Amino acid sequence: MDRKKLYPWYFTSGALIIFFLLCFLPGIIGILYSFTDWNNFTDKINFVGLKNYLEIFKGKPEYRMYIWNTVVFTTVTTILKTVVGLALALLLTQKVIKLKNFHRMIIFSPQVISYLVVGLVFKSMLHPQTGFLNNFLKSIGLDFLAMNWLTDLTTVFPTVMSVDTWKGMGYIMVVIIAGLMSISPDYYEAANIDGANFWQKFRLITLPLLKPIIINVTILNVTYGFRVFDMIYSLTNGGPGNATGVINTAVYKEFSKGNYAMGTTLSSILFFILLFLLYFIVKSMENKEVQM
Amino acid sequence: MRKRLKKLLSTICITMMAGSVLAGCGGSSSSNTTDTKSSNGNEAVTLTFGSHQSGLPTSAVVQNLAKEFESETGIKIDFQISPDAQWRDLLKVKLDSGEAPDIFCADADPLNLVTRVNPEKYCMDVTNEEWVKRMDTNVIPSISYKDKVYGITFPGKKMYFYVYNKEIFEKLGLKVPTNYEEFKNVCQKIKDSGVTPIFEGTQNGWHQVLPLFETGAMYQQKHQDLYNKLNKNEVDLDSVTELQTVISELKEFANLGFYGDNYLSNSVENAKEAMANGKAAMFIGESAWRNEVKADFPDFDINKLGIFVMPWADNQAIGVNPASNAYFINKNGKHSAEALKFFEFLAKPENLQKRLDGQPGLSEICWPEIKSKYSKEDQAYIDSLQKGMVMQAGVKYIDSQWMDVGKDLEAMYTGSSTPEDVLKTIMTRRTEQAKLQKDPDWNK
Repeated sequence: MDRKKLYPWYFTSGALIIFFLLCFLPGIIGILYSFTDWNNFTDKINFVGLKNYLEIFKGKPEYRMYIWNTVVFTTVTTILKTVVGLALALLLTQKVIKLKNFHRMIIFSPQVISYLVVGLVFKSMLHPQTGFLNNFLKSIGLDFLAMNWLTDLTTVFPTVMSVDTWKGMGYIMVVIIAGLMSISPDYYEAANIDGANFWQKFRLITLPLLKPIIINVTILNVTYGFRVFDMIYSLTNGGPGNATGVINTAVYKEFSKGNYAMGTTLSSILFFILLFLLYFIVKSMENKEVQM
Repeated sequence: MRKRLKKLLSTICITMMAGSVLAGCGGSSSSNTTDTKSSNGNEAVTLTFGSHQSGLPTSAVVQNLAKEFESETGIKIDFQISPDAQWRDLLKVKLDSGEAPDIFCADADPLNLVTRVNPEKYCMDVTNEEWVKRMDTNVIPSISYKDKVYGITFPGKKMYFYVYNKEIFEKLGLKVPTNYEEFKNVCQKIKDSGVTPIFEGTQNGWHQVLPLFETGAMYQQKHQDLYNKLNKNEVDLDSVTELQTVISELKEFANLGFYGDNYLSNSVENAKEAMANGKAAMFIGESAWRNEVKADFPDFDINKLGIFVMPWADNQAIGVNPASNAYFINKNGKHSAEALKFFEFLAKPENLQKRLDGQPGLSEICWPEIKSKYSKEDQAYIDSLQKGMVMQAGVKYIDSQWMDVGKDLEAMYTGSSTPEDVLKTIMTRRTEQAKLQKDPDWNK
C-alpha cells in the first residue's frame, strides 16, 4: 500500500474533537461527580470522597441486589439469545426448510418494535386473570401452568428475561446467518466425503469459523444486558417491590429523587464493569483468531 | 475511480456523523411546543399539557374545556398523559432537562411542592392574578412557596373511605365494622361467600399506601403534637405504634386472601367493574368515586354503595387532605402568556361549574362560589366524624416517597420483606431525604 496516499492524521481531528467533547468529557465529568454530593436541592457541590461508593457496597442491600440482578440478567439473556439465535440460524439455513426468508422476517420482526410497546403488550398478555397466556393455558387444560407471571417472586425474573430473549434473538439470528453464509461450502463438501455427521460438522467446522461472529454477538449482548432499562421499566417497573430492579432503573430512581450524585455513582460503576468485561472479551478475540 | 468513490463516501460519512451528533443536541433543546400556521395567517400556538392519568378527570372534562378554549382563542392544547406510576419521576426528569411541557399537572401539597416541581426555578408566579383570590384559602398553601402562588387547582378537599356494597353486607347480615377485629370478621364472611372482600390494585403504585397515612387523624389523636414533633425530628415514625400495626394488618389481610388472588397485577381502574359486578365488596375511594362507577356502568344503582371510615388499627377518624393535584405553567416555556390565558379561561365561574358537573368523581371544588354535590346522607355521615389532617400533608418527607412505599408494600406482600422492614425503610428514606435537603433539624 502506498503510505503517502493515505489521509493525513489531522483528517480525524474533527471526529476526535466531537467525540472528545460530547462523549469522553461528559463521561469523565460524570465520574468526577460521583465523588461529590451533587443534588437537586442546593447549588453547592461538595467533595465527599468515596462516600457514595461505600454506600453502594456497604450501605443498603438494595444497591447490591440491583448490581447482582444486572449481572444475572446479562448472563442469562446473553446465553439464551446466543443459543436460541444460533439454533434458529442453523435451522433457517437448512435446505429442507421452505419459505426461509419469510420465517426469518417473522423471527426478526420483534426487533423493530419499541421496547415500551413490547413491555406493555406482554404486561397485558401476562395478566394472571385477563391475560392471553393464562387463558390459553387454562383452555387447553394446563391450569397448573397458569401463574402470576409478573408478580410472583420466583417467576418474575425468568419471565422478564424470556420476553427480552424473544425480542432480541431475531437480531442475533440474522447476524449469525450472515456468518454462516460466509463459510465456504467446500469445507462441508470435504467433510461429507469424509463421512462426517451433522454434529461433527457443527463442532469442527461451523463453530470454529463462527467464533469471531459469536464473540461480536456476545459483546453486543453483554453491553445491552448491562444497560437494560426500557424492558424492565415497562414490564415490571422494577417490581414486585424491588425484585427486578437493575442498575439503570436505580439510576433513574436516584435522579428522580434529586440525588444526582448517587445516580452518577451507579452509572460510573456500570461503566467500570463494562470496561473491565469488554477488555477481556476483546482480548480473547485478538488471541483466538481461527487459523485455517 | 475507486479513489474518488472512497473520498466521496468518506466525506458523506463524516458529514452524516457530524450532522447526527449535532442533530442529537439540537433535538433535545428544542422546545416541546410546536407552531403551525393557522388559516388566517397568524402564528397558531399549540400548548403542551403534561399530566398523569389521575391528574386529568377520566370524563375528559378538561379536554372538552380545552376545545372550547381553542374555538374561542385559536390556541390549541395538546394533552400528553403518562401512567400514574411514572409521572412523578418523569416530570422531574423533564423539568431538570428543560423538556417540560408548557403546562404540567403535579400533586401539590404545602410540604412537597418544592421537591416536586421546584417552583422558583420552573413555575410561573401567578400571585397577582385575579382568580387566585377566588380559590379557597385552605388550598393556597398547597400551591404556594415562600408567599408566592404558582398554580391553579380545582378538586376540593380529599377524604378516602371504604366504599362498600350495601347489598352484599345485607345479604350476609353484616354490619359496618368499627374496629379491626370486626373488619376482619366481615371480610372473612364475605370471602366465604365467594366474593373478594376488598378490591386492591397495586399496579398504579399509590393506592395501597392510603391506609398508612390517611389514618393520620387517629395518630394525632393518640399522640399529642405529633406532626410538629416529627417535622422537628424529635420523634420518628416508630414512636407511632399504630402505624406499624396498620402495616402488619395489611399484611395479615393479604395472607388471609382478602384482596383476592390477583391484586398484585390489578389496576385501580378495574375497581369500578369489580364493584359494579359484585365481584368485590369494598374499595378505598373518595365518596364521589361512586359517581364514576355510575358513569361507566349506568345500569348499576349506586345507592347500593355506602361509605365507612377505614378501620385499620381501630381507626374511627377521617383524614382530610387539603392538597390535590394542581396545574402549573412552565416558566421557561415559549408560550407562558398563552398558558396563563388558559388558566384564566378555566377560572371563569361558568367553566368552574362545568368542571364540577363534568367530573362525576368530584363532590366539591375548592372554589367557594360553586356549590358542592354531597348528598344529605353523606354530608350527615361526614359531619358526624372526627377529622384531622392526613399524614402526608402534615409531615415532611412522607409524600415524596409515596410511590416507594407502594413498592415496599408490594415487596411485603410477595414475602421478600416484613412489615417491620417496611417501617424501617420508610424511616431511613425520610432521614436520607432530610439530609439531602440539608434540613437543619436533621443535621444538628
